[in-house]
Amino acid sequence: MGVFSETVEVVCSPAGQPIRLRWQNRTWHIAAEPVRWYERRKWWAEELRAERGRGAGLVDHEIWRVQARLNSRSELRTLDLSHQADTGRWRLIRVHEALQRLSA
Amino acid sequence: MSFTHLHVSSAFSAHYGVSWPDELVAAAAADGADALACTDRDGLYGTVKHVKACLAAGIDPIVGVDLVIRGSQGRSTGRVVVLAHGHNNGRGYHALCRLISDAHEGTASGRGVKGREPGVDIAQIAHRAAGSPESAEAGFPAVLTVLLGPYSDVGQALRHRRYSEARRLAGRWRSIMPAGSLVLEVVNHLGPPGGNLSTAHAVRMLKLAADLKLPAVLTNAARYRQVDDAATADVLDSVRALTALAKLPDLQPNGQGWLKSSAQMQVLAHEIAQEAGAGRAGAGELLAMTETVADRCRMDPYQDMGYKNPVVPEASVIGIGQDPVTELIQRCEAGIGARFRGISGKAEHELRDRLAHELGIITRLGFASYFLTVAEVSKIITDMGVRASARGSGASSLVNYLLFISHVNPLAHGLIFERFLSRDRSTLPDIDIDVESAERHNVYRRIFARFGDRRVTLMSMQNGYRARGAVRDAGLALGMEEEDISGIAKQLWRFSARKFREAMEEKPELRDFSAQVEQNKQLDLLVDVTERLDRLPRHISMHPCGVILGDETLLDRTPVQPSGLGLPMSQFDKHDMDPMGMLKLDVLGVRMQSSMAYAVNEVIRIHSGKAAVTAAGNHPVDAGGNGPGYIAEDGRIDLEAVPLDDEETFELIRSTHTLGCFQIESPGQRELVGKMAPRNFNDLIIDISLFRPGPMKSDMVRPFLEQRHGWAPENYPHPDLETVLKETHGVTVFHEQVLRTFDVFTGCGLARADEFRRLLGDEAAEPTVEEYFRRQAMDRGYSVDTIDKIWDTLKAFGSFGFCKAHGAAFAVPTYQSAWLKAHHPEAFLAGLWEHDPGMYPRRLLVAEARRMGIPILPLDINRSADMYRVERIPADKGEPEKLGIRLSLAGIYGLSAAELKRIVAGQPYDSLADLRARAKVSRPTLQRLAKLGAFDELNQLVGRKGTATRADLVHHLDKPPVRPVPRRYEPIDGQLSFPLGDLELSNLKTCLPEPTMLEKVRTELDLLAVDVSAHLMDSYAPLLKELNVTAAKDLLSLRNGTEVLVAGIRVATQTPPMRGGRRVVFISVDDGTGCVDCTFFHEAQDKAGPLLFGTRLLLIQGLTRRTGPRGMSLQATNAWDLSHPETLPLAHPAETPVPAREQPHLQLPDRAMLVGLNISG
Repeated sequence: MGVFSETVEVVCSPAGQPIRLRWQNRTWHIAAEPVRWYERRKWWAEELRAERGRGAGLVDHEIWRVQARLNSRSELRTLDLSHQADTGRWRLIRVHEALQRLSA
Repeated sequence: MSFTHLHVSSAFSAHYGVSWPDELVAAAAADGADALACTDRDGLYGTVKHVKACLAAGIDPIVGVDLVIRGSQGRSTGRVVVLAHGHNNGRGYHALCRLISDAHEGTASGRGVKGREPGVDIAQIAHRAAGSPESAEAGFPAVLTVLLGPYSDVGQALRHRRYSEARRLAGRWRSIMPAGSLVLEVVNHLGPPGGNLSTAHAVRMLKLAADLKLPAVLTNAARYRQVDDAATADVLDSVRALTALAKLPDLQPNGQGWLKSSAQMQVLAHEIAQEAGAGRAGAGELLAMTETVADRCRMDPYQDMGYKNPVVPEASVIGIGQDPVTELIQRCEAGIGARFRGISGKAEHELRDRLAHELGIITRLGFASYFLTVAEVSKIITDMGVRASARGSGASSLVNYLLFISHVNPLAHGLIFERFLSRDRSTLPDIDIDVESAERHNVYRRIFARFGDRRVTLMSMQNGYRARGAVRDAGLALGMEEEDISGIAKQLWRFSARKFREAMEEKPELRDFSAQVEQNKQLDLLVDVTERLDRLPRHISMHPCGVILGDETLLDRTPVQPSGLGLPMSQFDKHDMDPMGMLKLDVLGVRMQSSMAYAVNEVIRIHSGKAAVTAAGNHPVDAGGNGPGYIAEDGRIDLEAVPLDDEETFELIRSTHTLGCFQIESPGQRELVGKMAPRNFNDLIIDISLFRPGPMKSDMVRPFLEQRHGWAPENYPHPDLETVLKETHGVTVFHEQVLRTFDVFTGCGLARADEFRRLLGDEAAEPTVEEYFRRQAMDRGYSVDTIDKIWDTLKAFGSFGFCKAHGAAFAVPTYQSAWLKAHHPEAFLAGLWEHDPGMYPRRLLVAEARRMGIPILPLDINRSADMYRVERIPADKGEPEKLGIRLSLAGIYGLSAAELKRIVAGQPYDSLADLRARAKVSRPTLQRLAKLGAFDELNQLVGRKGTATRADLVHHLDKPPVRPVPRRYEPIDGQLSFPLGDLELSNLKTCLPEPTMLEKVRTELDLLAVDVSAHLMDSYAPLLKELNVTAAKDLLSLRNGTEVLVAGIRVATQTPPMRGGRRVVFISVDDGTGCVDCTFFHEAQDKAGPLLFGTRLLLIQGLTRRTGPRGMSLQATNAWDLSHPETLPLAHPAETPVPAREQPHLQLPDRAMLVGLNISG
């Protein structure tokens, strides 16, 4: 399993659910229902400020675990995407080597 | 359909919840909710505020608690939420109160105190949930609902996928709890897959409910109103566990525990149901069940909780067999006989009118039993022989005066009953009683004994974060070094933590800190976190004076928990009293009352009988040579009976040497009494009333003084107000004057006038008052000019003027303490040292004795007792007999209470061996006693012609102890020892010189915190001479505006509110010849910077400023730290001998720094 962080572009459904993403100049299509959760951050170590009114994204990040493929014949990959509430940016944070069963 | 949150912690869940009840209610209401629960941890701490906010927002309150459940070994198995059912005449609410009291039975009274944590077992919940035995038998439904949520034993088992254990535990709950009282609580914070508060966790809960056929509800276990508060919750978790965030094992999985909207909760319900395979129907069922449970828990505050329904003890309990009104009338009649003997004519007419007026209002409001209850409490206290005096607006009532609740005649001082109680006020009025602080706990116990502990409980108070505590805990959470945090915390001075950043920019003493923040980025985070903690409740404690009295149902209406005193304490605070219809008495412990009681007893002890007291105190004698009536034959002075016109007392007040006197000892007050020069008791009332933030801020004092001294003509805004404002020369000072002004100009009556007064300053309501005032005054023919002028006065002074009744009540102990200081200064000062009532450290009052020429007698093993005693010093060498004050052994650092008791019990001692044998004092104590000279006299008497010095003795005691005698050689009880004298002392070798004065003073400061033998500043004499420093006593002879240097020990620091809002800092220093009060305006504060609040020994430069015929203060221009000689403005710094290095380390208590100006009320 690779753990890193890389900015990716994500296209979402009107309900806010990722549909496809661009990674390494290729478009990946998301297959199956993605799983979403919120993961805590060590804000006291990672941030310089924690002022009132800072809003979402300080204590946790939204994470989406998706299964994506390049086309209908290619292999499914499991990817973890982080959605930053404050900037709206998406980052790819994990690429799983094998297919993970998607379940909360 | 809107969603109802059933599990919500408010900020009153200390170190857990983040948001205030009204914030939560407002958010829920704005989202369209028609009900909201408040389920604080361990109690109903936020409940009344919640109910109040719900009523204001027009939604139904739901009331519950989040409780720890104890398992078979008494260990916590988790937490559940218990909700009260509503609309059942309070049966649900009563059961909830009783259950919470059960949970606190036998718990520790505070953080850091040993004892178990609050909690109940399942059987206790089941018992309370069934309602009363009768109703349970009659088949009434349960009155409580338990929510088994993610933090319950069941929920924890499911968190770790222990399915069968969860089933077993849930089955146990179901078998014990009454039917229809158990519900599973599904919570989903969208935590990481499979973990705590994840969707899977929620699904497991939902499936278990289905399996066991138990209802399930959805909540968000909310701890904060909005996303933004999640970080604050993290910090609170860290502080609760006393562990830095980085080391905390079980943080909330993420920041999703806020009060989510209905729409968001519905989405969550669907997500859970779908994952559980229950589909849309499953979600609908979950949401519908949530509303079903919510509906049965909707409270009717009035019917269920007794909201706004005043309750007083049953008549039978206060010993009344008849109608309380009849009883009250009879007692007032008796009071007239006692208070106004022989009154007749017009005076009697007025008295009768007033009494009828007051009784009419009291009867109409149904408060007769209330007055009788308070009278009963007063009587209990007086019967104990404890000094008591009513304070506050209660002094406005003639009924209170006749019932001996208060001791100020309201007719004599023009006090208005409506300021205290009017027919339009439906809440119970406040009557506050000051008692001797040393007796306060005994008074409480007597009240409990008299009314029974079912009807009495102490009131609690919520202690919130202020800047210092907030910065400490923020530092803890961020894992900063404790020393660094302490260093920062010490620099913080009275501002709210919320304004930390603002303060850093403005306040000179934080300049260094601001610079550090620029350097060290972690401090930036510290500031942010500190701001987040601002004002949040930290813990609950016993209110310093509130006692709640009720009838048999009191414990159905409030949960109670142990207080530090061992007596039960309500979970409600003072803001909850009125809404909950609770009768609260403030029984305040006032140290000054203890000091005065002590002084009176010392006078009796030291003088034998009335004649001796009369002579010693220079009291007036009649033609037959008899002393005054207020001195009893045994010499006891009845302070209440002392006439209020004693010239020597007023002379003392005018001299401004009022250190130690109640209310008038602060630097500001000494300046004011110096300017005002009070001549009579009414002047004293005015003085106390003027010395308030309001009048000081609005510049009322200057015109008042100018007119009083005739420097400016008296100026009445209208001739009709002359009678109203005469006593204050045309300046509006008192609430009573505001009321009368309203009445004169509008004819509204005093009751409505008081309502108008309360509305002044209220942005929303004031315009209505203004309109009414203008219209009515116009109709009465007043000119627009006059109306404008009067309205401006009312507007400006009305909201913060002072109630004259308060002033009058305060002026009594003020006068009494000044009277004692004028006539029996030794006994008075002994009382002050003993009970330490004032704003200053004890060492300043010792310095005051020195200034007054009262001998301070050193510690002596045979003469010192466990209290400060007045002692006769026989006439000697032409000096007449004098009275001195002997230091108390109780003040010695490190002397245990048990040792002290043994020493005093065994006095006198004829040798050190005798002391060791009978008092069994430890070696360190023996050394300390020797260092303080407690054996000097013994050494003189029995030592070898007294040639060995104190240093020799200390040296001797420093040697390792002689091995104890084997048991068989120990004397048996009753065996007499040989009268050998003190072989130890007589064999002491003389080799060391007597300690120097400086060494002695150093020891005294270390061990007693008081410089006894000489003033600490004496050792600085050479340095001060070099600097050409002026002594405090010499200031008065200087011209106004002379530039001088003064030096001394800081004794007080104040930052009173000032006109224009700019901060002014007052620092008083004592140099042994008196106090110098220095004013630091903005520029001087800037120059002094970090010295302003931390430094003990100060050198201050400034200009003299005459404040009155006897007053001179200093307007500071700069300041230095005297203990840092290299920074001082010396001509030849290198050549000057500086004693700094060997200076005693002065450890003064923090109290000296934390002096308030506020008079409560």
